[in-house]
Amino acid sequence: MPSWQEFQPFIVTGLALGGVYALSGAGMVVLYRTTGVLNLAFGAVGAMSALIAWDLINNSLWPEWPSYGVAVLFAAGVTLLYGVLLGPALAKRDALVKATATLGLALILLGTMSWIWSDKARSQVLPTSTHAFDIGTVAVTWTQVISFGLGVVVVFGTAAFLKYTNLGTAMRGLANDREITATLGVPVRWVEAQAWLVSGILSGVSGLLLSDLVGLDAVSLTFLVISSLAAALIAQLRSLVVTFFAALVVGLVSALATPITSISEYRNMAPFVLATIALLWISRKREISFTGTGLGNGRG
Amino acid sequence: MKRYFGSKRGRSVTTLIVVAAGLSLVVAACGGSGNKESNAGSVVDNPKCGNGNGQKPTGSPIKIGAIATKQPGTDFTDGENAAKAYFDCVNANGGVNGHPIQYIAETEQTDPAQNAALARKLIETEGVVGMAGGFSLIECDVNHSYYESKGVPVLNAGIAPSCWASPNSIPVNMGPRYSSDGAVQAVIRQDVDKIAFDQSNVPGTGYIAAGPKIVADAAGVPISESTDNVPIQDANSVAVRLTQQAGPNGGVILNFTPPEALKILQAAQQQGLEDKVKAWGCSTPCNTDFLAQALGAKWDGKLLVNAELNVTDFDGPDSELYRSVIAKYGQNVTGGLGSFSQMGYLMGEFMTNALETVKGDYTLQSVSEAVFNLKNQETDILCRPWYTGKAPLHIPNNVDWTTTPDSGHMVQKEDCFEISEDEPDIAKVRQIEAADPSLTGGAG
Repeated sequence: MPSWQEFQPFIVTGLALGGVYALSGAGMVVLYRTTGVLNLAFGAVGAMSALIAWDLINNSLWPEWPSYGVAVLFAAGVTLLYGVLLGPALAKRDALVKATATLGLALILLGTMSWIWSDKARSQVLPTSTHAFDIGTVAVTWTQVISFGLGVVVVFGTAAFLKYTNLGTAMRGLANDREITATLGVPVRWVEAQAWLVSGILSGVSGLLLSDLVGLDAVSLTFLVISSLAAALIAQLRSLVVTFFAALVVGLVSALATPITSISEYRNMAPFVLATIALLWISRKREISFTGTGLGNGRG
Repeated sequence: MKRYFGSKRGRSVTTLIVVAAGLSLVVAACGGSGNKESNAGSVVDNPKCGNGNGQKPTGSPIKIGAIATKQPGTDFTDGENAAKAYFDCVNANGGVNGHPIQYIAETEQTDPAQNAALARKLIETEGVVGMAGGFSLIECDVNHSYYESKGVPVLNAGIAPSCWASPNSIPVNMGPRYSSDGAVQAVIRQDVDKIAFDQSNVPGTGYIAAGPKIVADAAGVPISESTDNVPIQDANSVAVRLTQQAGPNGGVILNFTPPEALKILQAAQQQGLEDKVKAWGCSTPCNTDFLAQALGAKWDGKLLVNAELNVTDFDGPDSELYRSVIAKYGQNVTGGLGSFSQMGYLMGEFMTNALETVKGDYTLQSVSEAVFNLKNQETDILCRPWYTGKAPLHIPNNVDWTTTPDSGHMVQKEDCFEISEDEPDIAKVRQIEAADPSLTGGAG
């Protein structure tokens, strides 16, 4: 078992990754609560935006920050476009159908990335990673600080936004009952479009941060959505605050398992294991009944 | 709340974002089209291969076959494509004794039954008289018995252990195990007191890891071995773990594909870990300019990469011909200049050299005999002459360079050195070479 001192760097890496997972998880939860869509293309959109930034910087020789801006705009645009074009058509379909449709977008984007960019080694070092400071013996980059800090700001900022603004109230209204909210005069499609837009922006920002923290390749960035999804599921796709803490736990457990030789190989299972445990715990007092119209959950 | 939906301001913002997204797609598509590796080093406009007479061959075609892996995430067809580029060059220069080479390149998706069927199709249905240019994850393991039963020598670039353990498999590369050995040797020469060896968690890791352990144990250097699932999702943590395992006077060795190795090295750099150990090493896949460009100057001279083949911009006649052939005939070589296309080029060149020695008809027997007689194949792409011969196993590429990044390119760091004879099969090969020095250009 490693010593406490040896564990310390893994706390930093775990918190940084957890922060980005929280960022992504918040985007997924807000979108799901507003539109009923579990966006499985979140990671693919982020991956493509990160590759666009890399391409603009390295092939088109654009300055870094405008490239990052275009990348986030791309993520916002493609997500919004999907939501505006396909959202209404799928609005009344089952949640599973909606989620599967986003998987289609993810596959299209994966194929496009594979077609445009080969699987050559690339790196994207954000300007914030060129500076680091020490906490004890642990070097901390500003990207790690920003990843964690942005997770905090976005999660709690979004929670406040939903609570105190008109748009936030409309989103919460849609989450509760789409039909009733619509009859009250809330412009449903417009509110949903805002949710798609916010989700897209968050996927773009997450993609850029993860391309630095994890690496710039389409597949791994696309499937990092699983860790965020686990956090969102632990929060039952409802609470942003629970999503935040669940994301931190996922990041920390994965990181802290790394130096422990006996379990290091299995650390990628952490999101699944944690989500499974949480869901079993949450549903421990529920009974499954097969009455009435079919399968239903009854309170025990 | 209606003001959100119907306002002009709202519509214009949405329109702006949609337009920007469209523009982004266009920009990305345009930028991505130029991702082919740039040709470094001299080239000639009209490379001369084979007879070099510029005439069109008029004889009956000589059929050569190959099998390479092509599936999502693993595309080894650049070996075949580069071999074809060499054959096209030969065909544009008179062919072989007036015969054009007809290349039949198959692809497989790591399905054993498919591999077995393809080998039989090539030899029994297509009637190929030789096999060269193959590069597969499993083909050696699946088909080596078949090739042995047919007496067909296969010039390949291998991954599976059987590639270096069959009398009929003759690779131009040495594979991940011996290349990792070479990286371990280079790092041990830096006087490290411990080694942390890490590789991707894929089938065959036990076979590969056994090599570095043998080499490290023989040198009296403790070694810890680990695997990581790919794609790596927590490179920062992996980098920290490896530097902790190696310690301040230790060395870290990576056996990953370039993108995965890059993740770990970049994470180490960002966390200031590159100087926390004495040396960093990597097996052959890291020997690519793409990695050097992506890493940046901090790793110049610091990362020791085992190189089974020479740097692609080497100033030598065969390296120049290789670059020229790829430039003129290698339109399908998607990876451009690099280890994979170097291997394919060599397989094409060596097979052509064998074909040129055939007297009479080109049959499976006559070509097989010619291939088995290849010896002293000089090329500046390998450390020393390559050979085949009739032997229970073939590891003709067993002497390597060490390269290192330098200003975005890989350059030679150490001159040619022998892979350790502490490896049992390397020791056997050295005995074979000692028994017949003419194989590698010595007095026979």
